[in-house]
Amino acid sequence: MNKFLLSKKLYRNELATFYSFLIGFLIAIIVGSIILLIQSKNPFDVFSLMLKLSIGSVNSLSNSLNKAIPLILAGLGIAIINSVKLWNIGAEGQIFFGAIALNFVYINTSIENSYLYIFLLLASGFIGGSVCILLPALSKVLFGVNEIITTLLTNYIVFGLTIYLINGVWKDPNSLNFPAAAYVSESVYLPTVFGKLSSGFLICILFTLIAYYIKDKSVFGYEMRIAGGSALTAIYAGISAKQKAFIAMLIGGGFAGLAGAIELLSQTHRVSTGISQGFGYTAIIVAAITGMRPLGIFLVGSLFGALAIGGSVIQTIGVSSYISDIIQATTLFGALIAQFFFSYEIKRVKDD
Amino acid sequence: MKNPILEAKGISKSFGNIKALDDVDFFLEKGIIHGLLGENGAGKSSLMNILSGIYIPEKGTLTINGQLIKRLNPDLASSYGIGMVHQEFRLIDSFSIKDNLTLSKSNIYQNDFSEAFSKYSDIFALNLNAMTPVSELSVGEKQKVEIMKLIFHNSSIMLLDEPTAVLTPQETVQLKESLETLSQEDEKTIVLITHKLKEIKDFTETIYVMKNGKMVAKDLDTKTVSDTQLIELMMGEVKTSKFDKNNLKGDTKLEALDISFTNEQNIKTLQNVSLEIKSGEVLGVAGVSGNGQVELANIICGIIKDFEGRVIVKTKDVTGKGVKSRKKLNLSYIPENRLGVGLAPGVSVLDNSAIKEYFQASVGPHLSKNVLLNSLNDLINKFSIKAPDVKAEISTLSGGNMQKLLMGRELISNPDVIIAAQPTRGLDVSAVDSIHNLIIDQRDKGSAILLISEDLDELFKLSDRLIVMYEGKVITEIETELATVENIGLAMAGINE
Repeated sequence: MNKFLLSKKLYRNELATFYSFLIGFLIAIIVGSIILLIQSKNPFDVFSLMLKLSIGSVNSLSNSLNKAIPLILAGLGIAIINSVKLWNIGAEGQIFFGAIALNFVYINTSIENSYLYIFLLLASGFIGGSVCILLPALSKVLFGVNEIITTLLTNYIVFGLTIYLINGVWKDPNSLNFPAAAYVSESVYLPTVFGKLSSGFLICILFTLIAYYIKDKSVFGYEMRIAGGSALTAIYAGISAKQKAFIAMLIGGGFAGLAGAIELLSQTHRVSTGISQGFGYTAIIVAAITGMRPLGIFLVGSLFGALAIGGSVIQTIGVSSYISDIIQATTLFGALIAQFFFSYEIKRVKDD
Repeated sequence: MKNPILEAKGISKSFGNIKALDDVDFFLEKGIIHGLLGENGAGKSSLMNILSGIYIPEKGTLTINGQLIKRLNPDLASSYGIGMVHQEFRLIDSFSIKDNLTLSKSNIYQNDFSEAFSKYSDIFALNLNAMTPVSELSVGEKQKVEIMKLIFHNSSIMLLDEPTAVLTPQETVQLKESLETLSQEDEKTIVLITHKLKEIKDFTETIYVMKNGKMVAKDLDTKTVSDTQLIELMMGEVKTSKFDKNNLKGDTKLEALDISFTNEQNIKTLQNVSLEIKSGEVLGVAGVSGNGQVELANIICGIIKDFEGRVIVKTKDVTGKGVKSRKKLNLSYIPENRLGVGLAPGVSVLDNSAIKEYFQASVGPHLSKNVLLNSLNDLINKFSIKAPDVKAEISTLSGGNMQKLLMGRELISNPDVIIAAQPTRGLDVSAVDSIHNLIIDQRDKGSAILLISEDLDELFKLSDRLIVMYEGKVITEIETELATVENIGLAMAGINE
């Protein structure tokens, strides 16, 4: 009788993650097409319209890249935390908390020089993200509480806090009863660089390089890899695994907090529930698809930004914007399945 | 043996190329406590896993109650009354004691649980409410519940794998009494698996000894067999081939003074251990594993910090300081557990090659990959390591190459002090030879070496002096030239003349 066994491949193709992504994306396009065909829409027309309206002009391209900023930054944060084999499901909350921290500092300070002020506000967003993950980080290293649960639950707390603030103490009297905080002054808006592209995108490029450096080129990144590989090896090597986990979580949370700050200063200009439209969750998909590689997160994050813009514009021809959500989610599914077949092989064993 | 309840004959089992069991015979007699003695890796657990239906043997026959069993599986084994307590507990922590005891369909005290529970609580001296969640129990109490579980599941043959490893001396005495009651009153057939000589002599009536997958002694009468005999069976023949011992010794490089340590389970694993090693000297530590050797190594290397006593490396007192303080004084540690402690699984060969001195390849926060790659290439050339892809996971290397990488990484800096724990365990003959040569080489270069091993052959071959550890104490210290296998073996069993 023949039996089939799944065995882990010893050697993986260096580009396996990239190929997996392509395969996943192809599967997603096919699935998307089928759904469109069921609705008697021509997939080719829909996709070419999406393409045209997401990257076809300077304006649409800059919209897409603006959309990509929070996905990329939050994704990078998730990837840094995953270096110690921990999962941050709380990027959504950290994005909101970054914006809240920014607004808090904005309300309570005043600086003449707007560049200096913007810098201070962005920094408070970053710190806000770190503060937001502080409780999950402490409970992880002190009591071993599962970070997946605590970071996820923090999202609900922060969202509740946001609702409280924009309906209560921070509510803008001029907002015609719409729950939102007051707008920040135009002097602290992030300037655009070309078309509508926010200078936040340049910050995003800078932080992609920083994340790449931390993960791949720094002593800290090395220590995180060893700590993530085996806690006992870390102790043996004189590396404090808990300390690395704690710092990684604060940095990762900060990345997401910065995303919230940029979103506020370049898009919404005020604290409202529109600060994030699930960016923190999509960022998990982006990070997972790329196998937690910063440069990959930058590329896939940009693509997903374009997909989101494309999805919102095809509504005008009567196609639901959910088609882009379906494509994003199916890409992850397809890529993960493809990654599985790059990492494992099916072996036939003879059984007597 | 008159009337065996279980007979295993000619059992063989291989894992890959390794013969875990080779033509093994084993008999159990009803109502008797049997001892199964052997070193780590002798095949004791494999044999027990076959009796409880977890492994399928390649050859051999199994007869239970006179009935020939064709193919056993865990379900079938439990219906024949065979139950096993594994070294790692199989209890559900969030369930109560009662739920754990009555979980299985073969549970026989469904209706009269409280009576049975109070009866066996008395036997095991377990003063707990049956509704207490298992997570609130101490390790010793969990052990008792595990054994009670076998009784509640109507097991008549109870296989206990190293049940005393986690117990305090008092708990061990208590366990002995409980098991005696069970064998006498309930006619339970019990197998006690251990590598501790004292316990096997205290607990059992008849003893089986395994060595390298073979059953080297069957049905020895505990009352008449001598410790020396058991030691010789367990250790096998020791070839006392030796390296040249005319090595020059220099200044003292490592001193451990009056070290005592109590672990988290409140067991005193080290008591007033002192040792001193000079440059160019190999001090061998003999002892059955679990007698405090790992703790001693971890204390000397700075992994365990909450101990009493002092550690001095090259005249510097490093007591209370961490791992890195030792590394700066050029102390190397080759831990017993290669993959998991010495090397991080899932991490690349390159990253693993730098664990000892990665911070020396750094400038501020920057870690230079080129420096790491160059050092790794040095290692690969100097220690002839076969590593086809240095960016691949460490597990792509063979066991021998992993150990060479680990040894090489720890030795290439010409360390002043080397702590090596079981450096050749599980390696093939040629790998063992090359590791031995590395150690002697290092000795001649002036390192002070602490060699912890269960392999007497290795200890006699490499050491200048030997100490024997037993229950956390140094029970014997002797020049290797004056030592005999017999007196070392007896000391390992806790007998000091």
